[in-house]
Amino acid sequence: MYHHFSVFKNESKLDLNYIPTRLPHRKFQRTLLNQFFRFTVENPGEMTQRVLITGNVGTGKTVLSQHFGLDITKEAEKKEINLNYIHVNCRECRGSLFMILQRALLNFHPHFPKRGYSAEEILQILIQILDEQNAYLILAIDELETLIQIGGSDTLYKLTRVQEARLKAPQRLSLICILREPRYLNKLDSSTRSTLQRNIIRLDEYSTSQLQDILKDRVDLAFKHETVSTSTLHFIAELASSENGDARYGIELLWRAGKYADASELSEVSPECVRKAVASVYPLVQKDVVFSLSSHEKLFLLSLARCFKHSKAAYLSMGEAEQAYAVVCEEYNEKKRGHTQLWKYIKELSALGIIKTELSSFGQRGKTTYISLPRVPALDLEQELAKILSTENRRSNTHAD
Amino acid sequence: MPIEDVISSKGRVRILRILTEIEELNISEIARRAGLNYATANQHLEALENAGLVRCKRFGRIRIFRFNRENSRARIIKKFIEEWETNK
Repeated sequence: MYHHFSVFKNESKLDLNYIPTRLPHRKFQRTLLNQFFRFTVENPGEMTQRVLITGNVGTGKTVLSQHFGLDITKEAEKKEINLNYIHVNCRECRGSLFMILQRALLNFHPHFPKRGYSAEEILQILIQILDEQNAYLILAIDELETLIQIGGSDTLYKLTRVQEARLKAPQRLSLICILREPRYLNKLDSSTRSTLQRNIIRLDEYSTSQLQDILKDRVDLAFKHETVSTSTLHFIAELASSENGDARYGIELLWRAGKYADASELSEVSPECVRKAVASVYPLVQKDVVFSLSSHEKLFLLSLARCFKHSKAAYLSMGEAEQAYAVVCEEYNEKKRGHTQLWKYIKELSALGIIKTELSSFGQRGKTTYISLPRVPALDLEQELAKILSTENRRSNTHAD
Repeated sequence: MPIEDVISSKGRVRILRILTEIEELNISEIARRAGLNYATANQHLEALENAGLVRCKRFGRIRIFRFNRENSRARIIKKFIEEWETNK
């Protein structure tokens, strides 16, 4: 078999879910987080903690929390303390407290029934399980914005105050809330806000030199020796810095640039590879955002991408979008969702910044919504979605087998 | 419960086979996997619980049944089922 040279030695180190052993330029925040939760390994059950981590996209909020989670559970294990760290993304859970708690519960009982009880019940069940197993839980709730938007104050209130009715019992549930914009907290009532705002860790955007250090670490882990020059590294760091210091964007660029180098059979990642990578990564619509959409949201977005690919018009009416979606559903052998559900998808995609919507102007008969795809090339989006959908299809077929 | 009562019932054997494999499940899921209706599955589970072969745990309204690994008879049955399944 023909096998050409690859610049990568281990590309999994560039995966978005990879947790590096070192977190450059986050030492202080990491120590702070440790201090906040020191009691979990020194006096478990004596108290609980709620910590808020805020910062822009790609400032290391998620990785900071996960890194801490790995370390603290290891330390607890050594002391024979049953401490669990569970990281849940609210957007993946559609902002539902029920789904968030269910994920935590399934960690302890993987075959627990998925239906038939309320969020309040599941919270009580979770506490019961923690009591029975003499376990403690640090629940990290990522992308808290979605939970606040959908659940409002009540859901968070329930989570933060669950221990209050258990004054003499051991305190078992601590929270790490991760969100981009602290202004979302204004949507909460004052008592919930005050509970959450006690301990805040703010992560500032990375500077170019900081980004360069982060990328250098990843290059050492993922690439073969001398395949990424300092000038190329600096180029990527500059690009990521111009995207509000987004380290995730920089890492994705690095990976893509490596792929372009491999495809061109180069022995080194050139700046030209980086330029090609820039053209293929959309900083405003990232791969993981598209990936986290539901399968019908993906199908709907795919139908929009196809329409825009063939159309010279910049806008698509809701009716046209529905028709195109029906065709795609037929192709993927899926039962199409109704008008109201599609309307919700449009709202969601619009909130994520993937599409833009406008109401038809006055003077026209009736009212319709016009949809546009402002930033992403339709062809690229179509290919990306088709790739994700076919992987998902393959995976579900394998499971079915 | 005499041994013939345990292994003469297709439903009970199916339930035991499911629980030796999955360890713990709720009644609806056990009934679905065993191809039984809820009431029948419930009756079998009660009998198996009385025989000490399975244990029931209550979480609010939800009952979860798990294979009782602490029971020596249950362990023998598990071994028997596994042996039977691997040497088909």
